[in-house]
Amino acid sequence: MAASKEELIEKLYECVVEMEDEDVVDVCNEYLDAGYNAYDGIMDGLVAGMNKASELYDEEEYFVTDVLLCSDALYAGLEILRPHLDADESMGEAKKVVIGVVEGDTHDIGKNLVKIMLETAGFEMYDLGRDVPLDAFVEKAKEVDADIVAMSTLMTTTMSGMGTVIEKLQEAGIRDRVKVMVGGSPISRKFADEIGAEGYSANAVEAVAVAKELVGLE
Amino acid sequence: MHPLDQMTPNERMGAMFAGEPFDRLPMMPFVISYAPRVLNQTQRWYRASAENRAECQIAAYEKWGHDTMVIEYSLHGVPHALGSTWTDPENALPAIDEHLLKDVDDVDKIDWDIDAVRKENDPWMKMNIEATERCLDKYGKEVGVSITLPGAFSAASGLLPVDKLLRAKRKKPEQVHKLLKICNEAVKLVCEEFIKVGATPFLCDPVASGTIINESEFREFSLPYTQEVFKFCHDIGGGCGYHICGDTTKLTQAMSESGCDMLSVDDAVDLSYVKGVCGDKLPLIGNVSPNATMMLGNREDIYRNIKENLKQAYDSPCGYIIATGCDIPLPAPIENVDAFMDGVRELAKYPLDPAKWE
Repeated sequence: MAASKEELIEKLYECVVEMEDEDVVDVCNEYLDAGYNAYDGIMDGLVAGMNKASELYDEEEYFVTDVLLCSDALYAGLEILRPHLDADESMGEAKKVVIGVVEGDTHDIGKNLVKIMLETAGFEMYDLGRDVPLDAFVEKAKEVDADIVAMSTLMTTTMSGMGTVIEKLQEAGIRDRVKVMVGGSPISRKFADEIGAEGYSANAVEAVAVAKELVGLE
Repeated sequence: MHPLDQMTPNERMGAMFAGEPFDRLPMMPFVISYAPRVLNQTQRWYRASAENRAECQIAAYEKWGHDTMVIEYSLHGVPHALGSTWTDPENALPAIDEHLLKDVDDVDKIDWDIDAVRKENDPWMKMNIEATERCLDKYGKEVGVSITLPGAFSAASGLLPVDKLLRAKRKKPEQVHKLLKICNEAVKLVCEEFIKVGATPFLCDPVASGTIINESEFREFSLPYTQEVFKFCHDIGGGCGYHICGDTTKLTQAMSESGCDMLSVDDAVDLSYVKGVCGDKLPLIGNVSPNATMMLGNREDIYRNIKENLKQAYDSPCGYIIATGCDIPLPAPIENVDAFMDGVRELAKYPLDPAKWE
């Protein structure tokens, strides 16, 4: 007997939580073949699984490696299900985030985790990568009409670049339209306040709540 | 010797290891990449020659009289010698530019030559050996030279991008172990080169931090390699220090099993906890906050942080070396480093007086 929609959604959820980036593809195909709705599979299966993964990360049950592997499963599943979304079933009017690691720093694991978490939470992400020239944050924010600019760094030498980006947003005349959030191990709430960033989060899970609050989603 | 001290660093460290009295607690703020600030020089200048490297460390020691000079072999030294490329920024630390391996299976495709790290084959190693010799020629009678170098796990992350390394450790652990073995053999050769000239390796393994991997992974992918390195150092007559950045609280017991002679922890870790776990086995080093205190704080904050650390660890059974939690950030004001040294001389003078720390 064919599996019910609920059973398959549960399987999708488990594939993400259990980091099964190959099995998830089979389950997605089975789910589509049975004619079930792609949007529900994404939201109640894959995304719910990723949210569980971030909960486990928050509880120190999962570590960076686990979250990376869960996200591999998430993305593998999304690739199958996304093309089957109905036109009106996009994730709604998503808030846009420009994210990157500031110039001079090539460590991007933290940034990648934040990107995954925000993407899972429904934000539209524009990832500039690592070692990003400061002007690029401003240009991209203008180009896509971003709601948030998110910057990260691991290096103390590059922290001051974050303040420079905020000044540049001001000069470009878009400071009042965009919120700034910062993170990375040397960054503190105090530093965020000093440079005038509205948001600071100590880790990738907290970043979701901070971002939502900044754009008035919660 | 610093005019405010009664013993040289070598005498003081010797006394600490022998359990004998000394004039003040030893201090090892990480004056590593920070050293060129003393001469108003850039990082690129500091990387340019053995003379420049030694000159900065000597100037810093003459100014502050802290208990070690440090030559920065760099955490990327091993991957660079083995074939990754690095950047050359004017005033920041080099970063890995191109990783040698794109995929963990590439480990089988490369004809590895571990001897590439030796001083006759690697100009970077040669320069750092010469810098070490210059420091020791000048002040070796009174102060030692420590060498920062990577542990196998951090070295591997300079050969294979770290996210790939982390994934592979789950999916292809045997391939990761192959890579770690290669890195570890290279790390041992690096230790050997520096021990031969009389310096002390200080192994740093930031990628094996508790914020990135959990204890069981640490015990599988990091600890056995580190134990092998430290045993190797001891077998050839050298000492060794050990440092991991970030929050290593849950790794404390495992780190204390590494066989290191001194254990350094970052400011995310409570020194009194570390003292409880392994203070009876080895001297502890730590952990004034590099960012909040040294970079963003003032003299008052520095004194407060030193007092907190003293209260936590002054009575650690095998000794306590007051230090910063990690390398002093380059933008930290030089007056803050002055304040650190002043604070230790004032607050950690023997006989210790805990009343001064309230």
